Amino acid sequence: MAKSLRITVTVLVVLAAIWAGRWVWNDYMHSPWTRDGRIRADIVTVAPDVSGWVTTLNIANDQPVKKGDLLFSVDQQRYQAALNQSKANTENALYSWQLAKHKYERRTALLSQKAISDEDLEESRISTEIAKANYDLAVAQQAAAQLNLDRTHVFAPVSGHIINLNLRQGNYVGQGASVFAIVQSGSFYVTGYFEETKIPLVRLGQQAKVTLLSGGKPLSGRVVSVGKAIANSNTQSDGQLLPQIQQTFNWVRLSQRIPVDIKLDPIRDDVQLSAGMTATIHLTQ
Amino acid sequence: MMLQTVVFSGLEFSPLVVYFPIAFALSALTRYVLHRLDWHDRIWKVAWFEVSLFVCYLALTVFLLSGR
Repeated sequence: MAKSLRITVTVLVVLAAIWAGRWVWNDYMHSPWTRDGRIRADIVTVAPDVSGWVTTLNIANDQPVKKGDLLFSVDQQRYQAALNQSKANTENALYSWQLAKHKYERRTALLSQKAISDEDLEESRISTEIAKANYDLAVAQQAAAQLNLDRTHVFAPVSGHIINLNLRQGNYVGQGASVFAIVQSGSFYVTGYFEETKIPLVRLGQQAKVTLLSGGKPLSGRVVSVGKAIANSNTQSDGQLLPQIQQTFNWVRLSQRIPVDIKLDPIRDDVQLSAGMTATIHLTQ
Repeated sequence: MMLQTVVFSGLEFSPLVVYFPIAFALSALTRYVLHRLDWHDRIWKVAWFEVSLFVCYLALTVFLLSGR
């Protein structure tokens, strides 16, 4: 074999290797993909609006619920008593108002006979207004008591699945303290944590291929948002309000990860998704 | 065929842990065939040739097995 042919073969293979190596490098380093993706979902925490013992619990862990379903009830006795008290107050205020009004009307008639002073009449009118205001106050208090009584029943704010139910019948629950969460149905999305060097390659509406660690056919989706901020540890201060600056190596720097949200296209029924699952994400160029 | 990740008992590895041995095996196979055909000694700068061939095989494996 002629020497020139031998040299040509080797040179061609070396050139092909340079081209192929460059392609592999670009494919891994300069294409928008990440192995650091997580499945996420909208989580709604459920907290009672009134305190008390849980008297009925209608749900089990991981159970699907529909919006408006009764989840649990809080002991009503105290709120029923408060409502009864408010009703009695309202009635009392109503009669006081009627009495004041009656007196005022009678005194208005007396004025024409010059049997009452202007001042007494004015006093009577103001007393009627006060009684009216007291009545309005009692009505408002009754409405609040009724609201508290109604809120002893806790309904599902959204459709979804119950998560982390540690609540049991007989537990005491506090007003505003979350007792479990609901994963909203159909709210699954993916957040990919892309290296900041790859962010220029990410754009809104870009098609995404999401491969779950659990395998199966890849899911498809679209980029809906790119995170506009991540925490910066250098902004913290110490006890003397001095800035705490982290040391870095000048030679080796780790690129930051920027969250990119991807809305999934409608998912097939056979795909099991749980928020928190790991996913690999490739975006189209 | 698409190979995004290699999962081994719950641990996730880069598919390169599979691609590299495949490319290496292909390189070894080529070397064996060239020896059998007695062409090996005729190649100019055989080390350059083999290293380059390995890179080419690696790129080919990545291209074919990653579904791109």
